[in-house]
Amino acid sequence: MKTSFFDIENWREIGATLARNKTRTFLTAFGIFWGTAMLAMLFGGARGFEGVMRRNFAGFSTNLGGCFPNRRTEPYKGFNKGSSWGMTVQDVELIRRLAPAIEYSTEMNQRSATAAYGTKTKNASVAGVEGDYAKIMIPVISEGRFINHSDVSLERKVAVLGKNVATSLFGNDSPVGKYVSLDGLYFLVVGVASQLSDASIGMRLDDGVILPSSTMRRACNWGNSVGFFIYTAPQGRSPSENEPVIRRVLSSAHSISPDDRQAIEFVDISEQFEMIDNLFLGISLLALFVGFGSLLAGVIGVGNIMWIVVKERTQEFGIRRAIGAKPLDITIQVLSESIMLTLVAGSLGVCFGALVLGIADRVTYDPLLGHAGFELSFRAAIIIVALFFLLGSAAGTIPAIRAMRIKPIEALNDK
Amino acid sequence: MNYELGEAVISLRDINKTYPGVVPLHVLKDVSLDIRKGELVSIMGASGSGKSTLLNILGILDNYDSGSYILDDVMIKDLSENRAAELRNRMIGFVFQSFNLINYKNALENVALPLFYQGVGRRKRNALAMEQLERMGLADRAHHLPGELSGGQKQRVAIARALVTKPSLILADEPTGALDSKTSKEVMQVFRDLNDAGMTIVIVTHDPSVGAATDRIIRIVDGRIETNDQLSMINDKRLIIDC
Repeated sequence: MKTSFFDIENWREIGATLARNKTRTFLTAFGIFWGTAMLAMLFGGARGFEGVMRRNFAGFSTNLGGCFPNRRTEPYKGFNKGSSWGMTVQDVELIRRLAPAIEYSTEMNQRSATAAYGTKTKNASVAGVEGDYAKIMIPVISEGRFINHSDVSLERKVAVLGKNVATSLFGNDSPVGKYVSLDGLYFLVVGVASQLSDASIGMRLDDGVILPSSTMRRACNWGNSVGFFIYTAPQGRSPSENEPVIRRVLSSAHSISPDDRQAIEFVDISEQFEMIDNLFLGISLLALFVGFGSLLAGVIGVGNIMWIVVKERTQEFGIRRAIGAKPLDITIQVLSESIMLTLVAGSLGVCFGALVLGIADRVTYDPLLGHAGFELSFRAAIIIVALFFLLGSAAGTIPAIRAMRIKPIEALNDK
Repeated sequence: MNYELGEAVISLRDINKTYPGVVPLHVLKDVSLDIRKGELVSIMGASGSGKSTLLNILGILDNYDSGSYILDDVMIKDLSENRAAELRNRMIGFVFQSFNLINYKNALENVALPLFYQGVGRRKRNALAMEQLERMGLADRAHHLPGELSGGQKQRVAIARALVTKPSLILADEPTGALDSKTSKEVMQVFRDLNDAGMTIVIVTHDPSVGAATDRIIRIVDGRIETNDQLSMINDKRLIIDC
């Protein structure tokens, strides 16, 4: 005998049964609908929220470390407490050679200067960097190019203007190929750049001027002094892995006590970003927890309703058993109703959740930064619906087993 | 129409049934009974006499404690739920006092339901169900819900449902209990006609007029068969009965 599950009568009957109690079916289905929609929205929303937050760091390497000199806090080898020291190009080269986890790095010097073109002037922060700077903090180049390794090695007198500086000095004209003055020294403008996000190192790129580090040292007569050194660690490595080498190199080169940790300021920004990652993980887990809670409430609602359905239809099941229904037929009937209800309402809930996420994604779309990520992948949608299928089956199982165990004689006598 | 009775469809030997409880209730006591193919039999008794329990055992709806029950050469004892359901579906047609139609299914769907549990395809089961409804004179009511039918029509739908699987016997529990006297007579005439066509029918009733319309009355008193009256002459049937 074939199973009644695939007989169209079974499905017509399910439709008829659900349609008979429209209000109850609607309320139960709404519970499931809302449960899945919440799960989908929280799941996709948490990712979207993370996307929106991460936009604040767009273009900024999060696996970032660096060091810069500070005053000694301990007397050492004839140097008094409070005496200052300076980092040099040689230190930077040695660190690059010995440090185990450096991918991209740049020395950096910074000062403020008055930028002038013709009669127009603008106070700007000026930074001297190496070519890898553009890989540590990816700029948006609106015109020309950024500083490269040749500019540094050949000490070219070139400059990249921040977008706001360029606008202040040149209006709508292109500054590329023209000369700007920085405190009286002229530099050829090779590009215009801006930041992708709000995160920056030392200064806001839009309001600054970037020079080759070697050129800046020479222009400012700083010899081989380096203000600070920043680098990124390769994927999967921590910037802090380099700290012992950095401390050892600088301590021995500049007579700093190995115990004087404050004399050498070391920063590992990745730790802050790790905290942010953990925060996002926490938000995602909370979203999932709340989503599953809603889902569970919906499923319990289904189980509850199926329980009532079984109680209400006890006599009908008795009639069916008397005329030949096997226990499994009754079980399938109850389970089919439960599964049908959860699948239809659950699928609609997922579609609604995806629609809301789609609207949120459209609203938060940024032409420069792209989509925030308010979306539900097809895989996630399938997983949610499959989960509902399983939970719907589970919810219907206990009432179905109860229905299966009803003795026909008892059911027929049920009033 | 004259019929010669065939072999026993139902054969009960020393059936006992006790409902457990603080005071166990011995409902059926050493009941032995043969019902032959083509008989129209009524089981009569006062309330609590055990007649419904006997009908439930005959209908494989309930178990018995001791004795033996053979239905159409099949020993009915310690059957699994599935086997019992299969035998009920294939061998027995039930007619209940309160019709027991499924109220959200129309007459045709109600009649076709036992075939659904046999795995018969929709088109075929609808054709077979319609055949039985036509036989009951209800073809024009096929797509009506039970709520739209009169009591007599409902009972005829129930009889059509009982007949659709071509069972070995029909078990009817107070089939006229919910009907007025005119409709009762009509329903009893349906049973008579079916019996004339060779169907074995067992009717449980407390209504003497229903009992009088059958070939044989089995009276149960306090769980025992008191009398097993031959009424074939009353019903003008020349039968050879061996009870």
